[in-house]
Amino acid sequence: MQKSFKKMTAILLAVLLVVTCFAACTPTTPAESTSTPESTADAPVESTPEEPAESTPEEAPTGDGEMTDVGTPRAETLIVETQTPTDVPGQFNSYMQGTQMGFGIHQLMSAMMWEMDTVAAEQFGEVADGMPESNADFTEHMVKIRQGIKWSDGEDLNAEDVAFTFNMIMSNPGISQCDYYNQTFESVEVADDYTVKIVTKEAFPRLAQTFGVTIWGNDLRIVPEHIYSQQADTSTFKDENPVVAGPYTVKDYDPLGMWILYELREDWDASTLGVVTGKQPKAKYVWFRALGDDNTRQMALINNEVDILCEVTPEILEVMVAQNPNIAAWYKDFPYATSDDPCSKGISFQMAKAPFDNADFRWGITLAMNFDEISMSIFDGAGRASPFPILTATGAMMEAYYEPLVPWLEEFTLDLGDGTTVAPFDPGYGQRMADALTAQGRDIPTDEASLLDMFGIGCWKYDPEAAEKLLIKGGLEKRDDGWYFEGNPFTFNMTYLADTEVQAGRGLQAAYDQLKEFGLNVNLASESSATWDTNAAIGNYEVAGYWPTGGITKDLYSVIRGWDADLIVPLGERGSGQASRWNNAEATAIIKELSTISPEDDRAYELGMDFMKVAIADMPFIGFHSGVKYVPTNSTYWTNYPNADNPYNGPWWWWSCFKYIMVDFTPVA
Amino acid sequence: MKFRKFLGLRLLTWALTILIGVTFVFFIPRMFPSDPVESMIGQIQSRSGQMDPAQMEAMRAQLRVQFGLDGSLIEQYGSFLWNGLLHFDFGPSLMSFPTPAGEIIATYLPYTLILCLTSTFLAWLIGNLIGLRAGFQKNKRSSKIMESVAICIYPIPYFIVALVLQIVFAFVLGWFPLITTINQSGGTWEFLSSLLWASILPAISLLLIGTGWWIISMKSLSSSTAEEDFVMFARLRGLPEKSISNRYVLRNSIIPQITALGMSLGGVFGGSIMTEIMFGYPGVGMLIQKAIMASDYNMILGCITISIVAISTATLIVDLINPFIDPRIRYS
Amino acid sequence: MRKFWKNSNGRLKAGLIITFIFLVIGFIVYLFPHEDPFSKNTYPTKLLPNMEHWLGTTSMGQDVLWLLIEAIHNSLFIGLIVATIGTVVGVFVGLLAGFAGGVLDRVLTVITDTFIVIPSLPILILMTSLMKGSSTVIMMALVLALFAWPWPSRQIRAMSLSLKERGFIDTAWFSGEGTIQVIITEILPFALTWSLSNFMNATLSAIASESSLAVLGLSPGNLVSLGNMINWAMERNAVMAGLWHWIIPPIAATVLLFIGLFLLITGYNDYLTMRRGK
Repeated sequence: MQKSFKKMTAILLAVLLVVTCFAACTPTTPAESTSTPESTADAPVESTPEEPAESTPEEAPTGDGEMTDVGTPRAETLIVETQTPTDVPGQFNSYMQGTQMGFGIHQLMSAMMWEMDTVAAEQFGEVADGMPESNADFTEHMVKIRQGIKWSDGEDLNAEDVAFTFNMIMSNPGISQCDYYNQTFESVEVADDYTVKIVTKEAFPRLAQTFGVTIWGNDLRIVPEHIYSQQADTSTFKDENPVVAGPYTVKDYDPLGMWILYELREDWDASTLGVVTGKQPKAKYVWFRALGDDNTRQMALINNEVDILCEVTPEILEVMVAQNPNIAAWYKDFPYATSDDPCSKGISFQMAKAPFDNADFRWGITLAMNFDEISMSIFDGAGRASPFPILTATGAMMEAYYEPLVPWLEEFTLDLGDGTTVAPFDPGYGQRMADALTAQGRDIPTDEASLLDMFGIGCWKYDPEAAEKLLIKGGLEKRDDGWYFEGNPFTFNMTYLADTEVQAGRGLQAAYDQLKEFGLNVNLASESSATWDTNAAIGNYEVAGYWPTGGITKDLYSVIRGWDADLIVPLGERGSGQASRWNNAEATAIIKELSTISPEDDRAYELGMDFMKVAIADMPFIGFHSGVKYVPTNSTYWTNYPNADNPYNGPWWWWSCFKYIMVDFTPVA
Repeated sequence: MKFRKFLGLRLLTWALTILIGVTFVFFIPRMFPSDPVESMIGQIQSRSGQMDPAQMEAMRAQLRVQFGLDGSLIEQYGSFLWNGLLHFDFGPSLMSFPTPAGEIIATYLPYTLILCLTSTFLAWLIGNLIGLRAGFQKNKRSSKIMESVAICIYPIPYFIVALVLQIVFAFVLGWFPLITTINQSGGTWEFLSSLLWASILPAISLLLIGTGWWIISMKSLSSSTAEEDFVMFARLRGLPEKSISNRYVLRNSIIPQITALGMSLGGVFGGSIMTEIMFGYPGVGMLIQKAIMASDYNMILGCITISIVAISTATLIVDLINPFIDPRIRYS
Repeated sequence: MRKFWKNSNGRLKAGLIITFIFLVIGFIVYLFPHEDPFSKNTYPTKLLPNMEHWLGTTSMGQDVLWLLIEAIHNSLFIGLIVATIGTVVGVFVGLLAGFAGGVLDRVLTVITDTFIVIPSLPILILMTSLMKGSSTVIMMALVLALFAWPWPSRQIRAMSLSLKERGFIDTAWFSGEGTIQVIITEILPFALTWSLSNFMNATLSAIASESSLAVLGLSPGNLVSLGNMINWAMERNAVMAGLWHWIIPPIAATVLLFIGLFLLITGYNDYLTMRRGK
């Protein structure tokens, strides 16, 4: 019904437009038609988009002979979307600024010291052979290098290359990491062919976490010494024909920066991936391409012109799933999205301003919002609740922190200032969502484990009465015509980043609706990315949709180190970390202690637990959901993508660990 | 003597115009909380999680020096005037540091020019031909229809035309490519045809809007010319309508259209932004948008300076040559 | 009034009717009591047009019809503010330059010319993306007005120069009227007839600029305008999901509004020429 309606309208619109076109520029037609033959002659080769939108994937030929626009057999080519087209095509040197690493460069070619296993929440050595071995005070670190890795020109990758890379960064001020490396390292030397000795200026217990991948990638990428040592200035060397240690090399690229075509190395078994896993990637070619706006992206996936997309919105996903049965995301059905992205979204406070500096005020805001409704208006109820401040409820963090803290949470109470208390934790969220969504006709599993996985441990209570008391305790005053603070009518601004990061933006808009309904006088404004980051650094906001959150390794240091109160700078100055300016002595003490002990130490975990309790009591950030990502795949040409039924990895195409994911993709034909 | 004075004054205005315009563009982004270093750090943090504070601090300091943002505003302005305006060297692009902004602009400029110049010329040609007919044969049915169609299309905001074209022809009907792929690895032929293929929809959208204006203006010009005495005399002499239309009406009404063409050629640069963004066409317009979002000061300045210089030079040239082609205009 | 209607041409009539309808929708129908269309989840989502919701609802549970009415109101409002500022400033600067002459004239002329020549779209994109967070309707209007005054200013200056050369102003001067009075009694009437046409033109182009910027996502995020309505519908994938009842109304309304205003302008200009001819 709806489809035929859509078609009708489309045809009507088209006819209208065609008529007006022809009527308007009758002479245009000859001019246009002289040019059309040339293009149509080439059209079949030039563009497969010729296929009508309606063509169902069953009809789509998966067989032999079909070629891509870049002249490779479609059946051997994995087509991946990149969100970051480059303005400097042909630049592959990661130490020259402006290189877009997410364009397949770090996914397929870069050699990282340590990579991330996102499922186990553990790092493993890629170029390094195991974790670094440090001395007792963490200043001397011995790093073993894997044997057998060869550069794509046949040279061995060994300790020389690793030491050279460190020293290159430290000696070239054109490389943006230069100052930091000089602050950190005393020296990096070759101990033997496959061992590097790293001396740090201060105790540095987290070498692998800082210089290996945890999320997305890392700036330390080992370069071939025999190439880079020949260059006059490695920060301006474009490296157009890169010699790499990863499994793929560049075959071709677009001079306008819209795509890069990669080809599997013949000696893939000597690449990082080959040596670490021993598996051969099935795709001979990987074609990374930028697809443009949202309409174009979804049409491309529906028409099988691309195999995997980066993040989309649920509205887009539902359209795509309805039009092409081969398209799927993490779950086959609702909620579709994976909740394992380590950046939870919610609302940030600028705690250098009053009354946002008051924990009672922040808790008041927390309890004034109905999280069920927020959840419904962000992604129709999809997504795992991640109520803790700062720490995201990814699968690994659920196990390590969220679930163990449930007994403590159930005991946890807030003093409302009038002699009463409230227990803010609400464990019934998952069941309520499941019921509400089932009532809407969604197919929701009923077992507890699935509910826990989909909706999390629970959320903060919706309790407007307690919220009022807390706000009053926090210094506000309620009069007949609204809320007052220090004698003036109380209003504040809520800002969010427009156009990108829909989850954060919608969350903030939903919070705005809730707070308005509660009776607070709030202004809502969206910012463009031109000012968003600068406003964060200088603290130019009151309540905003920033997401200073994380949660990937069991050791929380890298997530919480930015909340050290010593990093706070006055409003208007650019601070490093602490954009929210949360001044909490207990938390700071924990961070300081944690910085000196090894991540493997049991004490590190205890400190992590303590930090969470302090943070929950003080509520510096209200978490809504963990990073909910709708990452669609199309199994017309390739299959065995990671998903909820086969969670061998996460759908992180834009992370450097992509090579460890794509090695398991299998061709359909 | 009179001409000299006119020329001097006109050149002065030209220089001042560019200076004021460019100064404006230089100071606007610097007055707002928009900072390329923070944008870059923000980008890193949004993809790879929270940065080590020490690392952030070090990087911030280093980038400020590299980007040339550590000097005072006046120093930066001075060096921009000297390098950027006088030598057309806008310094490195900040989002693609250290590649020069000029080099990146040069990569994309030809595509913008090809698309916009061609469609501006075509629109001018077609619009004037139709407009001439509509104005000369004012009372014919076809003239009226064409004019009313032009009136109905011209005022529609450009983005709507682009949007509707895209929805109908690329999404619903699938006649045109969704993704602009320009094939440069093949031969010249492949390149040209893929370029043409990618440009058709954007070009049609520009033509639709552009033609409307030329039809309307030419119609009013030629219809007033057609009522002049010399046309009546020509008719009385029994000249065929066609040669009246070509020899008298066209010649007399085309002159202001030529000057207007000059002006609109200067303006293609600014006009291409919408087209490129709506159709994902690789060009300077896209570059401007990306640069603004990343607070890439140098790139913003580079793109807009070129555009200001182009349009004010076009105006200058038009003003200078006008009296030569139209004897009715005198230098004043 | 009746005489005016009789004398006016077809275009002017059509333009007047369409524009009048939009003004009624934007400023009278708008006043009827209704739910705030911006707030979300007021109604069930994605309803097709029905008796209760004539144009259905959006996927955020807003009523499309009221959203459209509010959008028309705000778009017209912005257009009118910009046109007013532009015309007032333009007429003032033009008169000042035209009558003051000398250095002041030179300076004002150069500034006016600069603003005519500067490509407005890139600058508007630049300014709106920087101000997006703090911008309100008034801010937006001020930014747009930046490019609305120079054109009338140049025209009015030329007009006042030619008037200056005609005799009757000198006559007025000699008969003892002050400069201000001369301007008000002798010049303004001329300027006003012309300004009215310019005013409508400025309204049209201001609405066009605002909606173009909105489609690029650069208009304030909480402003219900025609452009923003299109942008929101696109953002929530209305086109691909086939929610035509959501995306077509704002597009159609924009197209109609512009055709109406344009007919009004050309019709009015023709009407003026005709009247002068008589």
